[in-house]
Amino acid sequence: MNGISSLLWRFPSAQMAWRNLGRNRVRTALAALGILIGVVAIASLGITGAALQQQATADLGSLTNEVTVSSGADSDEEGVSREQLEEIRGLVTDAEVVPQRTDATTVSSRGRNARVSVTAVTGADSLYDVSSGEAPPQLQNGALLTNSTARELGLELGDPIEYDGDVYRIRGLIESEQGFGGGGDELVVPLSAIDQDHYDSVTIVAADGDAAVAITETLNERFNREGRDENEELSVTNFADAQESIGSFLDTLQLALLGIGSISLIVASVAILNVMLMSTIERRGEIGVLRAVGIRRGEILRMILTEAAFLGVVGGLVGVAVSLAIGFVAFQLITGDPMGVLTWASLQYLVYGFGFAVGASVLSGIYPAWKAANDRPVEALRG
Amino acid sequence: MSVIELIGVSKEYESGSETVVALSDVDFSAERGKMVTIVGPSGSGKSTLLNMIGLLDTPTAGVVRLDGRDVTDFSEDELTEERRTGIGFVFQDYHLLPMFTAVENVELPSRWDTSVDRHDRAIDLLERVGLGDRLDHRPDQLSGGQRQRVAIARSLINEPEIVLADEPTGNLDRETGRTILEELTRLKDDENIAIVSVTHDEQLVEYADRTVRLVDGKIDGS
Repeated sequence: MNGISSLLWRFPSAQMAWRNLGRNRVRTALAALGILIGVVAIASLGITGAALQQQATADLGSLTNEVTVSSGADSDEEGVSREQLEEIRGLVTDAEVVPQRTDATTVSSRGRNARVSVTAVTGADSLYDVSSGEAPPQLQNGALLTNSTARELGLELGDPIEYDGDVYRIRGLIESEQGFGGGGDELVVPLSAIDQDHYDSVTIVAADGDAAVAITETLNERFNREGRDENEELSVTNFADAQESIGSFLDTLQLALLGIGSISLIVASVAILNVMLMSTIERRGEIGVLRAVGIRRGEILRMILTEAAFLGVVGGLVGVAVSLAIGFVAFQLITGDPMGVLTWASLQYLVYGFGFAVGASVLSGIYPAWKAANDRPVEALRG
Repeated sequence: MSVIELIGVSKEYESGSETVVALSDVDFSAERGKMVTIVGPSGSGKSTLLNMIGLLDTPTAGVVRLDGRDVTDFSEDELTEERRTGIGFVFQDYHLLPMFTAVENVELPSRWDTSVDRHDRAIDLLERVGLGDRLDHRPDQLSGGQRQRVAIARSLINEPEIVLADEPTGNLDRETGRTILEELTRLKDDENIAIVSVTHDEQLVEYADRTVRLVDGKIDGS
């Protein structure tokens, strides 16, 4: 305390402000506590939002390079027709186009049953990662099955599995897909296994998210030119879109959280206004003496604004420290990586929180400072 | 030459619907090396007169001269500057800053002027009022008489031409009051300054070179 005070010796207004805060420490501490809570509210909510955003991005990341095409809302077809598939193949030359037919069935083995969704594809290799066995481009009379289903039914690689009257050999075991679509227990069979003319959906696997977005645009341009609402021949979905809309939802959420946080900071600055007003009224005579002995109005103004700013800085700094600790916990809980907090995306909220704290405090100090500086010394001395 | 001169000064206040005349056509002057004491019953306008002399208040009529310069129409900021450089104040209740040590309190009026360092003068002044061993004491560690000595040292820090003392012995016992007055008289001679004091205290009148009696806002019999 004294160290800081002597450091401030060259700045008399600042030194007086610092000493004055030390005068009623409980009051100073309570005012700073209000600011601290405001900063923690803003910064920790902001950081939590950043953690949610980061986790959502990570969850969706593996799917963003895929584009899914299915029957549009204004289409007469039941799914994607052969002609449309050919057209898609013509438009999309630099990505794998995988048509699919889907169904659901119950598979049985050794007296046990399991409900699975059935996907009939060619080019299973580009859609599925096998954990054991293999996923050949042409399944022929082979099949892929999710690990968990295989375990449940006691099936292993090479075992037969029956679907729609035909028997397939299990060539590979796959992990159940995370995130959107698919997921759950799945049986993958050759495209010819489901006997229908159209395809239920077409998955296009692009090199990356940007390529997927470009393909989505190309397909929409061709099939949904009049705008999706009026004339949608094919529904073209890309998870990059989904990611974007989730991102914008999270942005909105973040803004709402920050709004709530700001309210507590506003409450805190009202508290500072009150404290500063009280303390300048209490010190009225003293300020009158300062004015009498020739200290200028601007210097009184600066002194009291500095006092308010100190409250903001002290409350803000402690608030930043507390928020950082909360940030570590939030990142640990949401993303599993506490160090994730150390990125600009989340640290920026500490800067905002601190900035708002000092700004709000100085704003709150303006009126008391102006009032004290313009009090006539004669009146002030009279008490 | 007079350090401060008031010529035909009046002060009127609007109080509700009626006009209160606090000072009426008062002439006053103070010279270097002299102590003038203003006495009078309460409500006689003593404090108003002291505020005029101290440039804390402006008259509604008349002229105020400081060192021969007409300062009547100075702005508040100009008056502040004149007070800082030319006038020292001693108050009845000392008005020291509780968070600052004796020497810091003495230095205070000079702190905002970066062109001078009056630290040594502050120590010197405190030694001269007998507080050389109390430099780093805070006001609450000092007795009333000691506090008033700190206030006197503070009033002299900027080498003023005039020191105004408003009931300087008002809160002190008789014996302490006497030593304070001796201190003031000695410093007045050392520094060659004018002292203008306002008091009820008859004791103070003994030390005055001249006494001005104020009754109902008018100088009585002078």
